Amino acid sequence: MFENKTIAKLEQMLDDAIDGKFVETDYDESRLSRLESKWKDFLGSSVLSNENLEKERKRLETFISDISHQTKTPMTNIKMYTELLLEETSRDSEASIEKIQKYAHEISKQNSRLEFLIDSLTKLSRLENGILAVEAREEEVDKLITTSIAAVSAKASLKNIKISHKKFPSLKAFFDLKWTNEALINILDNAVKYTPDGGSVEVFSEKFEMYSAIHVVDDGPGISEEEMAKVFGRFYRGSDFQQDEGVGIGLYLTREIIEKEDGYIKAVANNKRSGGELIVYLRNKS
Amino acid sequence: MSILLAKDLKKYYGEDDTLVKALDGVSLSVERGEFVSIIGTSGSGKSTLLNMLGGLDNPTSGNVIIDDKDISELKGDELCIFRRRKIGFIFQSFNLVPSISVYDNIVLPIKLDGKSVDEDYIENVIDTLGLNEKLKVLPSKLSGGQQQRVAIARALSSKPAIILADEPTGNLDSKTSQDVLGLLKTTSKKFNQTIVMITHNEEIAQMADRIVHIEDGCIV
Repeated sequence: MFENKTIAKLEQMLDDAIDGKFVETDYDESRLSRLESKWKDFLGSSVLSNENLEKERKRLETFISDISHQTKTPMTNIKMYTELLLEETSRDSEASIEKIQKYAHEISKQNSRLEFLIDSLTKLSRLENGILAVEAREEEVDKLITTSIAAVSAKASLKNIKISHKKFPSLKAFFDLKWTNEALINILDNAVKYTPDGGSVEVFSEKFEMYSAIHVVDDGPGISEEEMAKVFGRFYRGSDFQQDEGVGIGLYLTREIIEKEDGYIKAVANNKRSGGELIVYLRNKS
Repeated sequence: MSILLAKDLKKYYGEDDTLVKALDGVSLSVERGEFVSIIGTSGSGKSTLLNMLGGLDNPTSGNVIIDDKDISELKGDELCIFRRRKIGFIFQSFNLVPSISVYDNIVLPIKLDGKSVDEDYIENVIDTLGLNEKLKVLPSKLSGGQQQRVAIARALSSKPAIILADEPTGNLDSKTSQDVLGLLKTTSKKFNQTIVMITHNEEIAQMADRIVHIEDGCIV
């Protein structure tokens, strides 16, 4: 009799789950109540994995539409300037060398933008699909910072920007040197981009019990509180900078890399201090 | 699908001239796996809200639904068991059991429920929180930051539907706070754990995926 009742109850639980309307009925110390609780957990996690699949599908969809949107502008510009260039050269001796130079320069600029975009997207997709794995191991933080600064120093000197690095010789953390380099270069590149000519960018690190932090402080306008949550989104660009160069994928890629190493990244709002500041936190141990 | 739903929550104290509206119609929905912070000054009603969400206090009216269950339907022991299974708490004052080891503290919610410990999962949690070398010691031997890491591990151990954290860094210095917040953020992602954190500090709130502001008992 008892057995039948239990089986009937189990059957009911299954039926309810199939209809998607299972709810726990009892909360007591009985095995059946614990079983109900586990059953609910299981159903919850399978709902979650379905939701994640759906999210992934939507993400891919927006990714593709983002790409087509982002590639359109440079493509259209290249097309336009090529036509202008052809028109100008067809005028033979009357052609203006100045105009030709200007159009060629525009084409080259748009071309670089497209190249950078495609390059970032390729990296991103390789990273997200796990084709290129992020392999964190113990490395020197100063080594990471020095190589990253070297990569942007040419661009910085063009704008007469001084990048300073306060060393922390003994500091080690767990990260993938190649990928984290990529991430830090993106942050420094951004700092240089938004810092006015003749300004400065400061890099320093500090150690906590669980994480090591790398601060990148610049003289730019910084990030407002409203923008904080958005800056790490894909194709997001500061509201005042919609027309500037850049494609707004750098910080997104940066965050993806840091998160794969179990670290995290945070922005300091510009009402807390003048200028911009981004902080990267890397794990001290694997 | 939301894991936590608060519908038009009200909590009034006193009456007529002395009526205090601690919460005045708060509605909130939290998705599975989300890390949400609720920010407000002292007296804004944020602690009252957290007590309602955790079933520690009854609202004057309105409902709290966790994992599809309206908790106002639960009485006495039922509510107690529900909380043990569905909600993980992280308090400002850590609230570890002083007489048992760090490891026993971490698995306490599982043992209380008479379930067996999922060793792989617990090991992963302990690893992530950097507690491997502290498992055998008593909580009193640990620093504040380490104690709070144990409290996070304990909250995660039973894989609750939701973790409620009340000013989790309120008793820690700023350096240690950054560590603890970082771990909350990364574990929420890694273990797909829903977390609701209460704080009065804007900078701390910024660590979450979403920020909810509460003022004078209302969400603004």
